[in-house]
Amino acid sequence: MNISDQKEASSPALTDCQAVLHILGLWRRQAPRLIIGVMLALIALCLGLVLMQASGLRLASSVLGEVVITTALLRWVGGGRVVLRYAERLFAHDAMFRALADLRVWFFHSLAQGAAAGLGFRRAGDMLSRLVSDIGTLDGLYLRIFVPFACACLTLPILVVQLGRQSIALGVAVGLLFACSAFGVPYLIARSGRAEGERLGKNLAALRIGVLDLVGGLREIRAFGAEGRILSHVQADDAALLAGQMRLARRAAYANASAFLCGQAAIFLVLLAAAGLFAFHLSPLAVVGSLFLTVASFESAATLTRAGLQAGVMGAAAQRVVEVAAHTPDRKQSEAQTEAPAGTDIRLDGLKFRWAPDRPLVFDGLTLDIPAGARIAILGPSGVGKSSLAALLLKAATPEAGSITLGGEDISHIRADSLRRRMAWLSQATHLFDDSIRANLLLGRPDATENDLWKALEEAAVADVVKTLPDGLDTWLGEGGIKLSGGQGRRIALARTLLTQAPILILDEPATGLDAQTEQEFLRTLNTVTEGRTVILIAHRLTGVETLDRIWRLSGGVATAAAA
Amino acid sequence: MGLVPGVPAYSLPVWPVFAFAGLALLRALIMALSDTSAAKAGIDARRRLRGEVLTSILTGGPALLRKTHSGELATIAVDRVEALDGFFARWVPASALWIAAPILILLPVAFIQPHAALVLGLCGATVPLGQAVFGIGAAVASRNQFLAMTRLQARFLDRVKGIATIVLAGRAEDETQRLGQAAEELRQRTMKILRVAFLSSASIDCAMVVALVLVAVMDGRQAMLLLANGQSPALTYTLTSGLFVLLLIPEFFAPLRALALAYQDRAHAQGAATAILDLPEALPRPSPDGARTVNASGVMISLEDVSFTWDPARGPALDHVSFTVPAGETLILAGPSGSGKSTIMELLLGFIQPDSGSVRLNGAPLDSIVPDALSRMISWIGQKPVLFAGTLKENILFARPDADDADLMAAVKAAAVDQFLPSLPDGLETRIGEGGFGLSGGQAQRIAIARAYLKNAPILLLDEPTAHLDPATEKSVFESLQRLALRRTVVLATHSAAVHMFNGRRVDLHLGRVVTRQGAA
Repeated sequence: MNISDQKEASSPALTDCQAVLHILGLWRRQAPRLIIGVMLALIALCLGLVLMQASGLRLASSVLGEVVITTALLRWVGGGRVVLRYAERLFAHDAMFRALADLRVWFFHSLAQGAAAGLGFRRAGDMLSRLVSDIGTLDGLYLRIFVPFACACLTLPILVVQLGRQSIALGVAVGLLFACSAFGVPYLIARSGRAEGERLGKNLAALRIGVLDLVGGLREIRAFGAEGRILSHVQADDAALLAGQMRLARRAAYANASAFLCGQAAIFLVLLAAAGLFAFHLSPLAVVGSLFLTVASFESAATLTRAGLQAGVMGAAAQRVVEVAAHTPDRKQSEAQTEAPAGTDIRLDGLKFRWAPDRPLVFDGLTLDIPAGARIAILGPSGVGKSSLAALLLKAATPEAGSITLGGEDISHIRADSLRRRMAWLSQATHLFDDSIRANLLLGRPDATENDLWKALEEAAVADVVKTLPDGLDTWLGEGGIKLSGGQGRRIALARTLLTQAPILILDEPATGLDAQTEQEFLRTLNTVTEGRTVILIAHRLTGVETLDRIWRLSGGVATAAAA
Repeated sequence: MGLVPGVPAYSLPVWPVFAFAGLALLRALIMALSDTSAAKAGIDARRRLRGEVLTSILTGGPALLRKTHSGELATIAVDRVEALDGFFARWVPASALWIAAPILILLPVAFIQPHAALVLGLCGATVPLGQAVFGIGAAVASRNQFLAMTRLQARFLDRVKGIATIVLAGRAEDETQRLGQAAEELRQRTMKILRVAFLSSASIDCAMVVALVLVAVMDGRQAMLLLANGQSPALTYTLTSGLFVLLLIPEFFAPLRALALAYQDRAHAQGAATAILDLPEALPRPSPDGARTVNASGVMISLEDVSFTWDPARGPALDHVSFTVPAGETLILAGPSGSGKSTIMELLLGFIQPDSGSVRLNGAPLDSIVPDALSRMISWIGQKPVLFAGTLKENILFARPDADDADLMAAVKAAAVDQFLPSLPDGLETRIGEGGFGLSGGQAQRIAIARAYLKNAPILLLDEPTAHLDPATEKSVFESLQRLALRRTVVLATHSAAVHMFNGRRVDLHLGRVVTRQGAA
């Protein structure tokens, strides 16, 4: 919607940090699992360090004629490490994927909150990219950043203390190298990779939009012979994505190499100490222990270097995910807490409305009375605002001035879901889902019986068509109802609207796609099936068979009564 | 090393320490080079594969959409191909190295400490065994995981496209829950893969720990024995060589571990390959010269005894239909919804081929005409035009990107697009939302008409072009179409009352059969 688009442009961009914190807040439900995952990782790490150091010491200490490390200890530590490492990885990944599933649900929920009027200028492909790829990337936040970071924070003091006991200079030097490899290099890489990471997310979304456009527009493309052009267009998006990935891969390679060099430098220092050079004087036994400990520690630091590279990508991904919720409009409507009243009289008073500040006014002082149970028609050429009226009634859009009341209650005070249970809208954009006819109908009333379904199909003049289908109600409709003709699909949507138990029906051109004869029959049925409900028939013309209480003609932003 | 008491430390040469530094630098350089070249191989392969997948989809054309959700097709082209990265960047190098690298390490070990080499060799040999066992499970799990992923994506895409319908029906909570179930299924499938993958890497860990402990204990025992006999060069040798072997053990297992990690990449690649093979074969577009084309000025269309069935269970969509439209004339196809009008359009567009009978342009069977030549001859306007991501101008120029400004403006004027331009914030440069958001149905249809003007093809196919329009808009759209129809061969499918604005033959269809004809059709 224009309105949301405006807001998106004006609201300040979140920083990566805020976005990541927001995501962490959403993971609260999985916090115990996530924390246990970190704990297990830390214990597994300790055992790994002990194992490496112990096997070296076991050999070296035998020289002194005493067994410092027993075989049994080695076995226990070794076995424990294998088991713990397996358990830790399994547990941490499981916790993470639970958190991601939660995040996906939250994402769809937030998206649905502000989408009563559709996606507006957002592209479905972009949303899909956020749900799938961006949220998928965020697993690294925990698995590749937090867990290794916690491990590195534990390793550093152990390393410094163990080495420092032998030689303070060596401890400090190796400790610095470790900090450099585990924190310094990753931080620098993360900072420099930020822009690239953001571009990566956008490029992937652009590719997805391009591919979806290509797939969705296959008819147009074939009809216009545009295969070559569209292909090269998508391949340009692809090339942009791949070029960015190549730049990131090159950086990753350098990062890996530099982390490796840090580790080797530390070993180099230990070796120098062993050779008795500089200020490092170690006992031979200590040299062996230090060497093995150093080798094992730096192995874990290398993971963080790679994580640093992905941190930029993850920050950008977190932003793209959180953005959707942050820019959801209708925030101010959360104060509306009243249930819809029992009465269904509708009154519009002095309504002013436009879709965006830079667009012309659709309504300018519109006043309209629709008593409960009335059957009215609203007529006018396309573009006069008939659909905008429906959007306003359902709170899919907010008026600039004026008020709409339902049963005497201003609808801005009524909760949107409560209001929408009162009104069913068959719009021009009503969507048929890639599901069975039954599932599509049940969306209107989940507890409808088989008889209810057939009755609604009967009323919508489509039961005969469904009966001839081999699978009847269980026929798969295909994407956008592709398995049926346009007119038939439209009537399924109409049946879905009639099936709802809402006391107010807003039917926007319900007879579209019907030939003249069927249209008349259908409108006659409509006169009887909607007995007792308010019917707002939005149409460009009348056929003469409708029984109506009142007819309004929209023009110039106001409604004038026409002869009924 | 000055390990053994009594042997002074400084007696050791310092050069190996510096050789170590040099070799470390060299190794870092080689690592960086191998990483970049692996990434490059992965990227090249993906570029090529994505191109092939997209060409396949374009070859399959609109008929593919009846079988497969567009979300699934997009998943194949985007995510399936992305998942192949691991195959080229990780699996290929790992599978080349996993035998050679450990053997290379084993050789010096065998030279220095034969018994340690035996231990390492035996422990290493158990790894492929474990991989074979776990690998089969991994392949199955990976296939299931990708299915779950595809289902989640297709479901989400479909629900997002119809999100307003869901929200307004008050079903957002239910749908959120269903999406939650799909996400949960994805988690379970993913965990199944990981369980297998982690087990296989745990088996490697296990082999490594056994090797470490065995070597340490064996060498330690030997050293104790030697020590009991007093100091000797043999003791020093046992100690230094033992340490050397211990330090090499992680290196020995590293390639094996890389192989285990890359194993799921291989499984992903297999899954992707299956999905890609299910697509129609990518056909290179035949060059126009040599193949048959039809004289572009004035085209006669004829259907001869054409039958077509979408779904055998539902009976034929077209049942022995014949008619002729002479060059420059108009044929009106009438009939209720579902009577076969759109099927005739799809046949004329070459999206589908008749089961029997033939479609001819100037007497030439449609399937003998190259697709490029055919698309150059035909303009088509459907019920709702697909508007691509981009501006209004780009969407009109889609019909002929090389059109100059004068041609563009002429088309804009002829299609009466200029009448609503002032109401758009950026005129022709206004960006269009998904499904033509920001435009009314009539405005979107005018863009389609402008495309047809710009394309200037001799055949015009109109498939209920005013189905979603009110009479006033319909009348003015028909007026634009009347001007467009001049001197072209037109097939107009409609059940609008305003169709009398078009003079021409008329064919009435019912359930796929011609029921009445007017004029010489």
